[in-house]
Amino acid sequence: MSFLGGSSTSSPSSSDVKNALVQQVQQEAAMTNARALINKINENCFQACVPTPGSSMSAQENTCLSNCMEKYISMWNITSRTYINRLGVESKRMGGADANIVASLGSGL
Amino acid sequence: MDPQTAQELSRLNDADKKELNQILANESQKSNIQQMVHQLNDVCWKKCVTGKITSKTLDRTEEACAQNCVERWMDTQMGILKHLENMRGH
Repeated sequence: MSFLGGSSTSSPSSSDVKNALVQQVQQEAAMTNARALINKINENCFQACVPTPGSSMSAQENTCLSNCMEKYISMWNITSRTYINRLGVESKRMGGADANIVASLGSGL
Repeated sequence: MDPQTAQELSRLNDADKKELNQILANESQKSNIQQMVHQLNDVCWKKCVTGKITSKTLDRTEEACAQNCVERWMDTQMGILKHLENMRGH
């Protein structure tokens, strides 16, 4: 099976191929990003919420984990916003070749 | 690459190829930035969220710390680059 996903014999147009490619790349990128976030949350929230692992998770540990998760994500958003703003400032300062793409990223992450 | 994929790719006309190149370059840059944010957030979380986690929101201090952390991290990077540049000049 090809990346277009179908076994259809009808011949796809140039823009069909382009759209399928873009969609696949974007899906994989979103997946990679989500996986990275999950790994980081696991690492940091395990550290914060399970100081001494017992034979099962306690109720407090579970509460801590769900708080920690939401907290980590809201910090991720702040980090992202601050970093992208700063990238914009720096690239403008250096002549601004990348300023547009950086600005367009500001909302989209 | 399997033959069918190769055949599908060969259907791309020049305009779409050009557009694809641009889109892929943007996606690649976006992905680099996301990776950097993951790394930065990890560093800054460790520095800024040190107490017991009792709430799902960041308190004021933590939020300010997170912003400062990113800005100072960037300052550090700029400082290093500048210093390296000076070293090369000697």
